Amino acid sequence: MFKKILIANRGEIATRIIRTCREMGILTVALYTSTDRDSLHVRLADEARMLRSPHRYGDADEVLTIAKETGAEAIHPGYGFLAEEADFVERCAAEGIVFIGPPPSVIRAVRNKMDAMEAVKRAGYRVPLYADLPDADADSAALQRAAEQVGYPLVVKSTRGGRGRGARVVLQPDRLAEAVRAARHEAELIYGDGRLYAERVVAPSHYLAVQVLADGHGNIVHLGEREGSLLRHNQKLIEESPSPSIDAAQRTELWQAAVDIARMFNFQNTGAVEFLVDNAGHFHFTEVKARIQIEHAVSEMVSGVDIVREQIRIAAGEKLSHTQEEIRLDGWAMQCRINAEDPWNDYLPSPGRLTRFRLPQGPDVRVDTYGYVGCAIPERFDPLLANLIVKGDDRDICLSRMRRALMEFRIVGVQTNIALHKQIVQHPAFVAGKYDTNFMARFRFDVSANTSRETCRDLVAMTAVTYLLRRRIDAPVVPERVKSGWHRSARRLPS
Amino acid sequence: MGMGDNTMHKLTIIVENKPHEVELTPSRTTPGEYAVIVDGEPLTVYVPDYDTPELADWMIVDDRPYELLFSPDLRVAQIYSGRYDIQVRDKEVGAVRPAAGDGRVKAPIPGLITRIHVEPGQIVEAGQPLLVLEAMKMENEIRAPRKGAVHQIAVKPGQTVTLGEVMVEIQ
Repeated sequence: MFKKILIANRGEIATRIIRTCREMGILTVALYTSTDRDSLHVRLADEARMLRSPHRYGDADEVLTIAKETGAEAIHPGYGFLAEEADFVERCAAEGIVFIGPPPSVIRAVRNKMDAMEAVKRAGYRVPLYADLPDADADSAALQRAAEQVGYPLVVKSTRGGRGRGARVVLQPDRLAEAVRAARHEAELIYGDGRLYAERVVAPSHYLAVQVLADGHGNIVHLGEREGSLLRHNQKLIEESPSPSIDAAQRTELWQAAVDIARMFNFQNTGAVEFLVDNAGHFHFTEVKARIQIEHAVSEMVSGVDIVREQIRIAAGEKLSHTQEEIRLDGWAMQCRINAEDPWNDYLPSPGRLTRFRLPQGPDVRVDTYGYVGCAIPERFDPLLANLIVKGDDRDICLSRMRRALMEFRIVGVQTNIALHKQIVQHPAFVAGKYDTNFMARFRFDVSANTSRETCRDLVAMTAVTYLLRRRIDAPVVPERVKSGWHRSARRLPS
Repeated sequence: MGMGDNTMHKLTIIVENKPHEVELTPSRTTPGEYAVIVDGEPLTVYVPDYDTPELADWMIVDDRPYELLFSPDLRVAQIYSGRYDIQVRDKEVGAVRPAAGDGRVKAPIPGLITRIHVEPGQIVEAGQPLLVLEAMKMENEIRAPRKGAVHQIAVKPGQTVTLGEVMVEIQ
């Protein structure tokens, strides 16, 4: 087993990986930039090195240099940045450093989303209609012709990123050019690659992902499926396992398909085989994510398997800890992504410094976060602040546990989407488990405060006391706006 | 005004456009305790963290504990999932906190201006997108806080803005 691992990531996932390393007796090297030195992962690591490159966590040269200097035997990429970069994996191998993830051949096979769909289609599985989009220099007629092969509505996606950031839904031809421009810009920004493709929208549908683990000895297991159909701006908000929208027969079929597809790609380490499920109950393969995902803890909660531990063991050449028969999928788990963004203000990112950070506690509640009181939330990186994961014997218990955990979670210093989550987990369709990818488009965050006369009266009394308290101090009592997380310039209007 | 101040204060507090008359008297014996009369109804408010008012994020009103949060300018309050527009008028000071939204649209977060959707002189509706501000790897649409004419656009695409920098003025 490795003695020292470098973690080429930041924030909650770096913190998450360090925890397992420490439990395994493995030393860790953390990386940080000048703006996120405060992150908990830096404080928890055995060694911490500052990145000086403008490419930050994505700079393969600097990451490799630091790995060699610190004597790290392996690199865990987390998600994003250097995860799923086949060239980087090969460079690690050339330096004698183990990459904790799939081999480069597997990453190449699944990283181009169109090629992966083609391969899976040939193996006899359903995939959505798709077409390559011409590059930025092509004229608009060429673009329209490519789009017509697919038909509207379609979604413009990065060949690198798939369904995630940068994707744009286009309902009619006259909106295509603008969507392609914006998607290309965002894809270049996030993936450093502006190649795009168009995919026919299957909507409403369900987004299901089957978590798989495969070692280098031919063993492969799955940890059940997750449903992640609640999205805002292509980012999942809530994930749960098992999915409430498929029956036992579909579930068996889905698991088998996922394992077979993973085998087809000679998959190794951990990943997720992702599908859309249409209204008729048909699965459409969309992509294989060749890395650990933000929502991996949902599968950990129902299976009891530590996915990061298995990743490290697999990378060290060991066998999977469990056979499929030994893995018991038990109970119901759900995750809310807590982002530093302002639901009252068009969900603008809300960087700042945490002045209060009280985590929910109690039975079967887990929080993966890099935050703590005093920690600065940087503006430069994505707004994910914490993953709140709960488990219950069944979906009802899981939901009521999530509601009370959201109630307990108290964050002051930045605005968060906790209020949005609170409203979603009380929505009748969500409570009934009857929601799909259209849910968020119809969902309206209730900006008004529906309040009893008594609450309003008490609020008036508390406002008066606060006014007096703040007036009592001569110096300004309030930190500058940057630290407060309050933005008022563009309050979201009910639409 | 110091800790020894136990005089009664008269305030008008407006919550979501509805005014309430308030009389407020700090307790002579218990620090952090206040006798408050709201529209004629007497209440007792206890502030556990009264020494650090900026962190006073929970209070007890009679028997009811609340977790709450006020914006630095005391214009917005949050309790549980509710968010309220508030205004405090101090009858003695005669001061009215300035009305929100003077038409200047300031950068709510530092970032890069990538696109501008409006032109000077254009009439915009409340909520209409004005420009796109890129930050935290997201394209954020900045919308008009109210209806009016675009008086001035102080930024250009490609320009970075700092927090609070005026980007657009609406008259």
